[in-house]
Amino acid sequence: MFSAWNWVAHGLYLLLNICFLEVSGGLVQSCGHIIPESPVLALGSNFTALCILNESCLDFGNIYANQIIWKIKNRVVPKEQYREINRTVSSVTFNDTSSLATPLTCNILADGQIEQNIYGITVTIGLPPEKPKNLSCIVHQVSKLTYPMTCTWNPGRHTFLDTHFRLKYRWPQENFPDCIPKDVNNSCTITDVQFFVNLEVWVEAANALGKAESDPLVLDPIEIVKPLSPHNLSVNSGILPTVLKLSWENRISAAVMKLKFNIRYRIIGDTNWMQVPPEDTASPRTSFSVQGLRPYTEYVFSIRCMKEDGVGYWSDWSEEKTGVTTEDKPTKGPPIWRIIDASHSPASWTVQLMWKALEPFEANGVILQYEVTVRAKSSLSSPPEKYSVNTTNLTLKLPNGTYEVTVIARNRVGASPPSVLLIPASNSKAPVKNVRTLPKDGKLWVGWTAPNSYVLKYVIEWCLVSNSSDCITEWQNEPGNVQGTYLKGDIKPFKCYLITVYPLYADGQGSGQSVKAYLQQDRPSKGPTVQTKKVGKAEAVLTWNHLTVDEQNGFIRSYTIFYKTIDGNETAVTVDPSKTEYTLSSLTSDTLYTVRMMAYTDEGGRSGPDFTFTTQKFGKGEIEAIVVPVCLAFLLIVLLGVLFCFNKRDLIKKHIWPIVPDPSKSNIAQWSPQVPAKHNFSSKDQMYPEGSFTDVSVVEIEADDKKSFSEQDLKPFDLLKKEKSTSEGHSSGIGGSSCMSSPRQSVSDSDEGEATQNTSSTVQYSTVVLNGYRDQTPVQVFSRSESTQPLLDSEERSEDHAGGGDSATQRQQYFKRNGGQDETNTDRPCFERTKQITPANEGDLVGFAQLQISGQSSQPLGIELEKNTQEAALSDVLQTSTEGQTVRPETVEGSPLSVDEMPKSYLPQTVRQGGYMPQ
Amino acid sequence: MAAADSPSAALRRRDLCSRGIRLAGKMRSDVIDLLDTYVERQGLDASASVAAVEGVPAAAAERWDEQTGTQRLLDNLAAYRAFRALLAQMLEEQREQLGEADAALGRALAAVLLQVSAFAYHLEELLRLESRGPPSEEGAGPPPPPHLGLFERKLRGLGVLRELAQWAVRSARDLRQLAKPSPGSSSAPSPAESP
Repeated sequence: MFSAWNWVAHGLYLLLNICFLEVSGGLVQSCGHIIPESPVLALGSNFTALCILNESCLDFGNIYANQIIWKIKNRVVPKEQYREINRTVSSVTFNDTSSLATPLTCNILADGQIEQNIYGITVTIGLPPEKPKNLSCIVHQVSKLTYPMTCTWNPGRHTFLDTHFRLKYRWPQENFPDCIPKDVNNSCTITDVQFFVNLEVWVEAANALGKAESDPLVLDPIEIVKPLSPHNLSVNSGILPTVLKLSWENRISAAVMKLKFNIRYRIIGDTNWMQVPPEDTASPRTSFSVQGLRPYTEYVFSIRCMKEDGVGYWSDWSEEKTGVTTEDKPTKGPPIWRIIDASHSPASWTVQLMWKALEPFEANGVILQYEVTVRAKSSLSSPPEKYSVNTTNLTLKLPNGTYEVTVIARNRVGASPPSVLLIPASNSKAPVKNVRTLPKDGKLWVGWTAPNSYVLKYVIEWCLVSNSSDCITEWQNEPGNVQGTYLKGDIKPFKCYLITVYPLYADGQGSGQSVKAYLQQDRPSKGPTVQTKKVGKAEAVLTWNHLTVDEQNGFIRSYTIFYKTIDGNETAVTVDPSKTEYTLSSLTSDTLYTVRMMAYTDEGGRSGPDFTFTTQKFGKGEIEAIVVPVCLAFLLIVLLGVLFCFNKRDLIKKHIWPIVPDPSKSNIAQWSPQVPAKHNFSSKDQMYPEGSFTDVSVVEIEADDKKSFSEQDLKPFDLLKKEKSTSEGHSSGIGGSSCMSSPRQSVSDSDEGEATQNTSSTVQYSTVVLNGYRDQTPVQVFSRSESTQPLLDSEERSEDHAGGGDSATQRQQYFKRNGGQDETNTDRPCFERTKQITPANEGDLVGFAQLQISGQSSQPLGIELEKNTQEAALSDVLQTSTEGQTVRPETVEGSPLSVDEMPKSYLPQTVRQGGYMPQ
Repeated sequence: MAAADSPSAALRRRDLCSRGIRLAGKMRSDVIDLLDTYVERQGLDASASVAAVEGVPAAAAERWDEQTGTQRLLDNLAAYRAFRALLAQMLEEQREQLGEADAALGRALAAVLLQVSAFAYHLEELLRLESRGPPSEEGAGPPPPPHLGLFERKLRGLGVLRELAQWAVRSARDLRQLAKPSPGSSSAPSPAESP
């Protein structure tokens, strides 16, 4: 349809184009036309078109047929297909219309080059209709009197043309109006048909290229009826508990057709339909009694119908209706089992009787109550005990013995046959063997090998093994002739079940045989947590706990221990699942290991957490093996050393503790006999137990600068040197100060006057200040030290420490200052400390004098020294300027400094109270 | 009776008879339903008595059991041709009277008319099998309808339908008689089968 309109539009467009004004302002007139006008052509046929020019155009424009050009759309048709019939007619021939397209135009070359369109036509190409095939009809009953007939057919190939289909039908003596399909081309519905007269039906297809008719179908419409299904279906329970009566209405008149029926039914909730035998419902009817049903069961029914002789179609299934059969007596007694608890008392049992509610098809109604009878087998004379219960269990306390328990279920109609269970004294009969399980079809199958004796029935008992809940026993009965069954219960995957099979005999029961099983296994939900129990140098003992049943998800088949160092490959060790400990060996010492453990079921494994440990650096006993010999060797060495020292103590004493002359034995001790008591605690007191003590005062001789060391100034040193050389080795008395000179130097008394008179700068004097001993009036003496004893820092310090903190501080400051002087005056002779060597008078008191040399003002200092020393002795404070240039007694008097704050003093120090005070 | 003796003709005859009987049964059923509708729609009393309709042969026959098969067929054909004309006339009148307002009645009338026509065809075919051929319809039709009033036309229509229902019963019996294997048996039907 679309293509036809398209072609028409093209044609109109061409008609406008091929018209031109012959005369300016004149009428629009075509200069030619094409024959045939808009033809419809069969695909693949040949086709010839003629273009006929008007005579008027010939005269006016000198247009002739030999100038005609044929075009398909905008494509020029090859000249070979042209034929000039005369001077006004040109034809074009196409051997195959499939090469044609629309529009086909006739054009002319005016004035040799200008192409003008003369005329154009649309060409419609298609196919003639095929003969419709597979015509079939069906009469759908839509109401009691309305029977529309619908016929369908295969319209055949696409014709590319507007093709009309008509369903024709007629009686032999009467024609009916055609049935024209709406919107389709392959079916049509005749609104009403009459039965019992043969109707001839056929389909006619027609288009511009022809028409075709199907083979006629001659039929009596009554033979192709699909009737409406019976309706108003009702189900009524009859007298019998196994019968339900169905009634319905047919919606097709018996005058039209006789019907047969199909009845299907199913138990409600079930999906499988059962069907009443068709031969039972092969005749017209409006009711039927369905037999063989279960009592007290709800059924669903449905019905359909068709023509009795089977010609035609089945109706749809009717609406579903339900009905319930009436009750009947229970067909069997409830399965019964027991749990015997003999733990409370050996003489009696607590017996929990359990029975299962009957299945609906066994109960045949509503179970109103159960009647339980317990009869002692040992005393048949005693009457049985009867219980009526509404539940499915009963707990009894029975004396130890054998009992026969019967249970009867009762509904409104009657009682069931009794179920009997023997409660034996012991399970002394033969058990089953080879209990095994097998998951199959989502259920757990249990099989066993029957014992040789005849078994009445089996009881299969099972429970879910779990850490989180108790083992709730479930059970089921099986007849004695089977050796396997599926567990009837909600068996969950990945859970462990303990299954026990008991054989029941007519006179007792066999002991149960158990097996554990899984319906489906899975990987463990977690892996074992491994840890070390003991770690050695090359081995580690690993321990772990078994996974709980809930974590296992299956049978643990093995454990695998994986361990590795940080950068090493992982090593795996498979361990038997029964173990909880394993020793890793051949480990590297002092190495960090990571270990984890996997537990495997049949379905796979799961790893536990990583655990790290470090092997020990030394093995067991290695440390002892090293330490003990070392200690022994050390002790041995020490012992040898001690022995050696003991043997060589004299030699060692000579080197380490040289003989120090005792100042108390010096000459000066003879004129200063007082010995301060405090020095009794010094080490020298210990060395000289006579109680004499030697205080040493050092007189520093300081030079301000090198320039001040004139030769005149250095004369006293020369003098000193001379005298030193003369007195070396044998001098006694007060020693002079020494500086980098031999400790044996000494200055005699006679030098004092000379030095005082002859040297203006430096005089080697010791200032010996005597404090009063305790409350005694000190006798201040200026004396020159005649001691040649070397000044031992360590000794003095130890004395200072022993004497008091003030003295120590002062002394330290002093020696520090002195040391600093040494550093600054290394290029000069420096000063000497007098050293008193009094080997013959060790018990005398020796005072040390500090000799201070001031290079710049040695002479005035020498003059003032006595005076200053006297003042210092009085004030017990001596202060000199830092440079030693100026002595300001007034400053000393005005602001006496503390010992720590005492400026650099290079004057001969006086001995303060508690200080060094030769006495 | 000069019945065709060929097996195919016998089968054809039996088939025609069988379907004719069922068609008659359905026609009767439909006519009964149509009568109820007609009485209701035309505002008539179902128990109203209607005089014999002119031009409609009576279904009752005094010596029905003595009729030959051909005679039965001819009587039936004449009757149904008459019914066909009468029903066509009724349909026309109904359309004129009620227009398209009561299409159901019109469709029911048309359906019955078709069945009457179909039954007539059955009879003609049976007559052909009897080697007699159907008589010409010329002059066999009902007389031209007299000019009747509306109510009279309604009563006339009621009479036509009632008689058609009677004829449907008789035709079924006639065809059943014809369908019997022995042609001679048709001359001695049991009294219980008489209409």
